[in-house]
Amino acid sequence: MLEVERLLVAYGDATAIWDVSLTVGEGELVSVVGPNGSGKTTLINAIAGLLPVRGGRLRFGSEDLTRLARHEVSSRGIAIVPEGRRLFSGMTVEENLEIGCYTLGARPARGARLERVYAIFPVLRARRRQPAGTLSGGEQQMVAIGRALMAGPRLLLLDEPSLGLAPAIVDHVFEVLEALHREGMAMLLVEQNVPKALAVASRAYVLAEGRIVSSGTPVALLAEPHIRSAYLGE
Amino acid sequence: MRRPRVAPAVLLTVGLGLLLLPAARVPAFYESFLYLVFHWVALASSWGILSGFSGYFSFGHGAFFGAGMYATATLLSAGLPFLPTLPLAGLAAALFGMGMGAVVFRVRRLRGELFALLTLAVTFVFATIVLNTRIDGGPGVYLSAVPLPRLAGSATATLYLLALGIALVTVGTAYAVYHARWGAGLFAIHDDEDVAEVLGVPTYRYKLLALGLSSGLAGVAGGIHSMFVTYVTVAETFSIVVPLYVVLMSVLGGARHWLGPAIGAALVTVLMYGVTGGQTAVAGRAAVGLTLMLAVLFLPEGITGFLTRRRSARPVVTTLDMAQPVLAVAWNRPSRVAGSTLLVCDDVRKTFRGVRALGGVSLDVREGEILGLVGPNGSGKSTLINVVSGHHRADGGRIVVGGVDLAGLEAHEIARLGVSRTYQIPRPFAQLTVRDNVAVAGMFGRLVRDRRAAEREAGRWLEFTGLADRAHMLPAALNLHQRKFLELARALASEPRLVLLDEVLSGLTPSEIADATRLVREIRERGATVVFVEHIMRAVVALADRIVVLDAGQVMASGAPQDIVRHPDVVRRYLGKAHA
Amino acid sequence: MPSFTLLAQSVLSGIFVGGLYGLLGLGLSLSWGLLRLINLAHFALAFLGAYLTYTVSSVFGLDPLWSLLIVPPAFFGLGVLGQALFARFGVTQFGSLLVTFGLTVIIESLIQWIWTADYRRLESAYGTASWRAGGLFVPKAELFALAAAVLLAVLTWAWLRFTWVGKGLRACAEDPQVAAAFGVNHRRLALALSGLGAAFAGVAGAFVALIYTLAPSQIYAWIGVVFAAVILGGLGNPLGPLIAGVAIGVTEALTMALIAPAWAPLVSFTLLILLLLLRPDRV
Repeated sequence: MLEVERLLVAYGDATAIWDVSLTVGEGELVSVVGPNGSGKTTLINAIAGLLPVRGGRLRFGSEDLTRLARHEVSSRGIAIVPEGRRLFSGMTVEENLEIGCYTLGARPARGARLERVYAIFPVLRARRRQPAGTLSGGEQQMVAIGRALMAGPRLLLLDEPSLGLAPAIVDHVFEVLEALHREGMAMLLVEQNVPKALAVASRAYVLAEGRIVSSGTPVALLAEPHIRSAYLGE
Repeated sequence: MRRPRVAPAVLLTVGLGLLLLPAARVPAFYESFLYLVFHWVALASSWGILSGFSGYFSFGHGAFFGAGMYATATLLSAGLPFLPTLPLAGLAAALFGMGMGAVVFRVRRLRGELFALLTLAVTFVFATIVLNTRIDGGPGVYLSAVPLPRLAGSATATLYLLALGIALVTVGTAYAVYHARWGAGLFAIHDDEDVAEVLGVPTYRYKLLALGLSSGLAGVAGGIHSMFVTYVTVAETFSIVVPLYVVLMSVLGGARHWLGPAIGAALVTVLMYGVTGGQTAVAGRAAVGLTLMLAVLFLPEGITGFLTRRRSARPVVTTLDMAQPVLAVAWNRPSRVAGSTLLVCDDVRKTFRGVRALGGVSLDVREGEILGLVGPNGSGKSTLINVVSGHHRADGGRIVVGGVDLAGLEAHEIARLGVSRTYQIPRPFAQLTVRDNVAVAGMFGRLVRDRRAAEREAGRWLEFTGLADRAHMLPAALNLHQRKFLELARALASEPRLVLLDEVLSGLTPSEIADATRLVREIRERGATVVFVEHIMRAVVALADRIVVLDAGQVMASGAPQDIVRHPDVVRRYLGKAHA
Repeated sequence: MPSFTLLAQSVLSGIFVGGLYGLLGLGLSLSWGLLRLINLAHFALAFLGAYLTYTVSSVFGLDPLWSLLIVPPAFFGLGVLGQALFARFGVTQFGSLLVTFGLTVIIESLIQWIWTADYRRLESAYGTASWRAGGLFVPKAELFALAAAVLLAVLTWAWLRFTWVGKGLRACAEDPQVAAAFGVNHRRLALALSGLGAAFAGVAGAFVALIYTLAPSQIYAWIGVVFAAVILGGLGNPLGPLIAGVAIGVTEALTMALIAPAWAPLVSFTLLILLLLLRPDRV
């Protein structure tokens, strides 16, 4: 469903990722792991349309998204949960969620989708009128995921959902992700946290210094030396 | 900046010529007109000393000009003869300016548009005070009865000479500051004040003194002007004209050049007063506004900026790959005791808005070692570098460099101790050439060189990092690798004892990483101690003598590289339980 | 010590002038808070609107409030045009200050050229009429101005709070990149907001013409105090300039009544200076 073909993204003349190819099939949960600075956020932001693509192609379903305008990506069925949450901290929890279905096509579904998100994250219903910036890290992560779900996406992009969260909260977040996956949501998960990322994924890639160095099932990857050398340099 | 001897000679010649003008018995009209030109040259050039050079755009120049005008008017009414009032007017204005600056410059966030708004507000407040107290009181101050000393044949000629004098003094001062270390510091402040401070520029002091000079000179110009108008009112003195025109003239002529504001002033005055009378005066004002808009949009660097850019666009020889770093670089250093402790961090804490970045970090760095600092995202590595270099102040704990406790020291004082750093995302001074970027570090770091020597020495560091053939380019013309090496050259130019490198290798290709790794070893050979933050583990393992691992703001492990890589906590943190 | 009636009248007139500060500050606060552009020319535009209202009344003999149908829509177009130019040239926040500084002077010169520097006073039924309420005079024009100020502030606040576009704007102001990821078209919203701000300037101008004597130099008299109201009220908050404006207006009026009229302007500027020094993070 998502095909990334030989992607090249650069900042000015610093190439951040090059020759990156990956796929995400319908209903698949694919993880991309790698150490800091390997280009994971660049990859996700490029797929979400937030960064211009220098080379290669992005295909989603039958459509080529490579040159699409930033604000049109959401209506194609891709929603992002950005690194560090990036909520609109001055707006309430509910308003943050509502922005998720801002596109004209999504607005009518506002009520129904809001109910669904509150069903998945009951604590947000209790805090719906609070400014998003006052929530704890874990709660903010839930708002970020909920906001993306409000867009009714076919593919969910998650950038380091475990960042800055306590281990118990991370467990909870990943439980939610697994549940969503079981319901059929396709996801591309980018993570620094190897064990968590590989535990939920059906397939994974290893990104190091801007390129894919390995791919396969989680079991196979853990048996290889690539992950170890990417993180620990041996 | 290249041929300093020509300009002052030309200036002096022109000045002398103008000096003799009254003797030529030209009609008073021309003397009056030239008076106005000199008047505006003085006002605009004095404005440029602070605002043009450092980027602290003041909309309050009218306040200092007005302070000078009213100081003279008040003293004249009290019976003082004219000439002695002028230095007093300058002093009054300077004290006013520095008083304001002493408070305002302490507030870190008051830059850019906020500083401009604040200076505008100060002008209005001052004007209201003047209007309502005995300084003016409402009706204005009449000076027509005050005798004017005859320096030349007529009153207009006298004022002409006085204005010429202050104009020459102001332009000369701008020239002097521009070419001094002071000017280099102000330009660094303009591009990135925080980086300048960390490099050793005493930013507060420099800005304050520049403001004092700027306001003092404006005050003298005001004092002279009071006798030109002979009737001093609050409405005329503190109108929007002075702040608006000096900004316009400087932007048009080029605020970053010592002669820019003067050129702009001459041009605008000719335009404005060349057309006199009723309706056309209004058209003239509209033209002034339009010129400002067009200048900001199309000619942001002004006329002088445009001309100097044309001149320095000579073809530069670009080599495709980096030249081998020159190894024959001697490093003047006091003899060090190998193995002694250079940096001690004792229970260092730092919290940002509720987020605990450093929760009690304790570590030692020995003289001459290369220490690798690693850890996951958010573990506090960059914060530690920021705190040691003075970019931020620690909330708790002690940091000692070479036996000196850093508590209470300003960042530029820490730089003087011999601490320097690079930034993870390079922060060069965008409008200074590569060479000047490095020279600033040489002028203000541990060695405190004078400008000429620093510029010469800069060449050595550019050779060391392979940037010699790019010395006259702007940082924007460099690629990432070169910009990182510029960071490095700048960090080394002050010959520091402790070099803190923040992710110098990220974003580089494998061969570039090899170059950089070689350079870091060279730096240690030359006598510095290196602490470097990195994510690329294999480079850290290859380079470091010791590694410290941070996690969530605390030290998780430290030791030799081989041990760290196999340390069970570290492996578990990165790869999970299964792997360990 | 002045009488109670005098004090009450002062407070009332302070409230009214505060309403005008709010009306003038509304557009400024929106563009500064949500678009990161400081539009100094807002004041000149308001005065242009004032002079146009004056012309509608004195030249065409119409009720001056008719200008509210003509001027704000026309100014909306100007605002859109202005924003398009700013976006095209990539003007920074500081650059916007300088460019609008120049624009202010141009508009002021235009005003002086068309209407001359002579004082212009709009003579209308509103000008002198006032109601009486328990010993106090309530001037008609000023009450209408206050009503307009409150109405526009509340409507704008509601618009930002409850409509899709309003939420999109607020999201854009915080994080345009992520907002775009969810479909918010920053460019189009910026154009609309700019137009709205300019239209508000036109409305403010109409009421200034009703209440005050006009002169081109008067443009600058309002800059300081309205900036103080905008910053005090919190950038981007439509109710902010109104509430802060009333607070400043009442303080000024009381200063005038209890100390001396000439010291009144000091209040707002000193407040502004103190605010910038002590709480610069509010901006």
